[in-house]
Amino acid sequence: MSAHFPALIVVSPLMAAMVVAILAWVRPGACLPLAVVTLAGSLWAAAGMLWRVVVSGPFAYHLGNWPPPIGIAYQIDHLNALVLTAMAAVALVNLLATWRHARRDFAERVNYFYALYLLFCAGTYGIIVTGDAFNLFVLLEITSISGYALVGMGKRDAALASLNYIFMGTIGASFYLLGVGYLYLVTGTLNMADLAMILPRLYGNKVVTAAFIIAMTGLFMKMALFPLHGWLPNAYSESSSPVRSLIAPLTTKTMVYVMVRVALYVFPVDFSFGHLAFAQPAVWLAVTSIVAASLMALSQTSLKRMLAYVLIAEVGYMVGGFWLGNRMGMTGAILHIVNDAAMTLCAFLAVGSLRQQLADDSFKALRGAFRRMPWTMAVLVVAGLSMIGVPPTCGFFSKWYLIGGALAAGQWAFVGALIFSSLINAVLFFRIFEIGFFEPFAASDHGHPPDLAYAEAPATVIAPMLVTAAGLVVLGLLTGRIVTRIIDAAIPAAIL
Amino acid sequence: MKRFALLAVLLFGALLVYGTTDFPDWGDPSSPAATHVSPHYIRHSLEETAVPNIVTAVLADYRGYDTMFETSVIFTAGLACFFLLRVFARKAPDSRLYRHRATGITLRIEQGGRLPEGAREFERIDSQWVPYDLIIRTACRLVLPFIQLFALYVVAHGHHSPGGGFQGGVIFGAAVILYAISHDLRSTLQMLPERRTVLMSAGGVLIYAGTGLICLLLGAQFLDYAALAGILGVDPIMARSHGIFIVEIGVAIAVMAVMVSLYYNLASVGRFDEGL
Repeated sequence: MSAHFPALIVVSPLMAAMVVAILAWVRPGACLPLAVVTLAGSLWAAAGMLWRVVVSGPFAYHLGNWPPPIGIAYQIDHLNALVLTAMAAVALVNLLATWRHARRDFAERVNYFYALYLLFCAGTYGIIVTGDAFNLFVLLEITSISGYALVGMGKRDAALASLNYIFMGTIGASFYLLGVGYLYLVTGTLNMADLAMILPRLYGNKVVTAAFIIAMTGLFMKMALFPLHGWLPNAYSESSSPVRSLIAPLTTKTMVYVMVRVALYVFPVDFSFGHLAFAQPAVWLAVTSIVAASLMALSQTSLKRMLAYVLIAEVGYMVGGFWLGNRMGMTGAILHIVNDAAMTLCAFLAVGSLRQQLADDSFKALRGAFRRMPWTMAVLVVAGLSMIGVPPTCGFFSKWYLIGGALAAGQWAFVGALIFSSLINAVLFFRIFEIGFFEPFAASDHGHPPDLAYAEAPATVIAPMLVTAAGLVVLGLLTGRIVTRIIDAAIPAAIL
Repeated sequence: MKRFALLAVLLFGALLVYGTTDFPDWGDPSSPAATHVSPHYIRHSLEETAVPNIVTAVLADYRGYDTMFETSVIFTAGLACFFLLRVFARKAPDSRLYRHRATGITLRIEQGGRLPEGAREFERIDSQWVPYDLIIRTACRLVLPFIQLFALYVVAHGHHSPGGGFQGGVIFGAAVILYAISHDLRSTLQMLPERRTVLMSAGGVLIYAGTGLICLLLGAQFLDYAALAGILGVDPIMARSHGIFIVEIGVAIAVMAVMVSLYYNLASVGRFDEGL
């Protein structure tokens, strides 16, 4: 069975989604257990593949038993096995932590929510394992459409936010498809490994240059890099909390992974970093993204919107670190895909819990939150420390690699942006901690004693959150092993 | 902001034009797209899959995995529409209007009362009610069986001529929608209830993915139809052809059901009114 993990990890959530859609009419109670079991199975398969890759190296899976390039192949290597395991873990933990919220937010629709959730996961896993440039687009469609539907079923302005997301997301995906089409035009193949073999002969070809720029722009749009980030803040803040903590860790990070995959394993490394003068503008774009998003985060008055802007800044970290073009920066970027997925999940789970219990997540509502919801706030503190970059949380280690890479590459602006953003994050989070811990001040409440009753979320919500928070520290402590055993092998030897 | 948008559009237009300068010539037989992978399909698809239509062979076998997900995309779109539009907490109207078919006299029944089931001589008048139109109804009735037969032909004949599950499914779905437009939503829902459309759309994709899964359980790779040879009692090449036909049927069912489900949800804004 383990030989079929590459297919099963994508197909089982897909089929489970169909079965859930049927069970919703026949036996509604079975939907949630089936979804949980399927996602747990996916995590098991992902971990199994990661283990196999670490022990015996990359392997391929030929769907329909057609060898590439005439058929579609899945290529499992160090890079995608690592990202896949992280994403599968995030999807499972999020469902475990938020099914209560989902039941409350979606009421009769909750079973269809599980079906869309599984479809979203199937698409995401597929994007990560696929070795076919067009197959990636098809899976991107599944992820996007289920994502639009999930975002659209939120509060007040969710439909408008979802519509914006549809426009931007469709344009981004179309750009990627156009890039793939251009590549097919000059190579006649869609298989990534085959493309990487053929492209070195075509360095001077203008179609290849155009394809690279178009596809990258599309991906930047999907990952919400600064000037193209317009869809993200509303889509993430208007959607309901189980959706937010699913798509916030998965969507942008998966797209960063696709960028890494395309720039390293579809286009040859010396094309992406040597032939084209793309790396330097990309780093500058990342610097702008980090600075602008950090400043915008500073002006937000609700926790989830603030986190949405922090997320855009984090995308800048990964894009900038990757395009530094040296081994250390790239290590930081890939490590940050995993770490950022974990800490985004952690932060948004805490926000979801706060929102469910306090019915509001504006900074005002957080007054006294430490006394009312000590566990949730403890989780938020860990997530915040990780986003600031305090050891031993994982955020510190990826930032360490990113800054080291930037220093080695002499990219002082990027170093400055990283430090600036860390300081801003410190201000952002300590402001929240201060509000939650010290306010309300006794005198400021006009004599009315504030309501500080204990309002902690139930244990079934708290436990997965604590696991995530512990995961941030564990990931941090395991950094050395992850880097030497997995990420070092994921980066081509041509990069020094 | 508008100027910035204009600048971005112009820049990208320039990039696209820049790219076209190195395009292979139009219809060039020696272009990479015509010399790398496609010759294999053209030369070998018949001997490898026993399907004369190369497009069908590529679509449902060589790249059958993509097609499975394309079907899933359609299912996802249908589910998304259902998820967003379906109104679950319906408010019962205070009064209902019923028209006596023979005389045209209209009854109003108050306080949530309704006529007994099967009172055929009365029809309900509400937002979905369509006035009786003999010509349109009769014309559509006459043409519907032929449309449906043609849809089945398109599905079945995809191996030899342009067609297949997507096209046939769309035609079949269009036939049901035509019935709904020419008659009314209520009588269509009696023939093809909402529940059945959801079950069929999920079931169609399950037929496709399930075929792949059976291949996997028989020890082959996912979607390697050759593994079905033992079950179908044919040689492995013919099994590929049959496997393609099975998944095409799945696609047709899913596409048809999703089309109808989309129409139901959009036409009644998710309310489905009476009859459920």
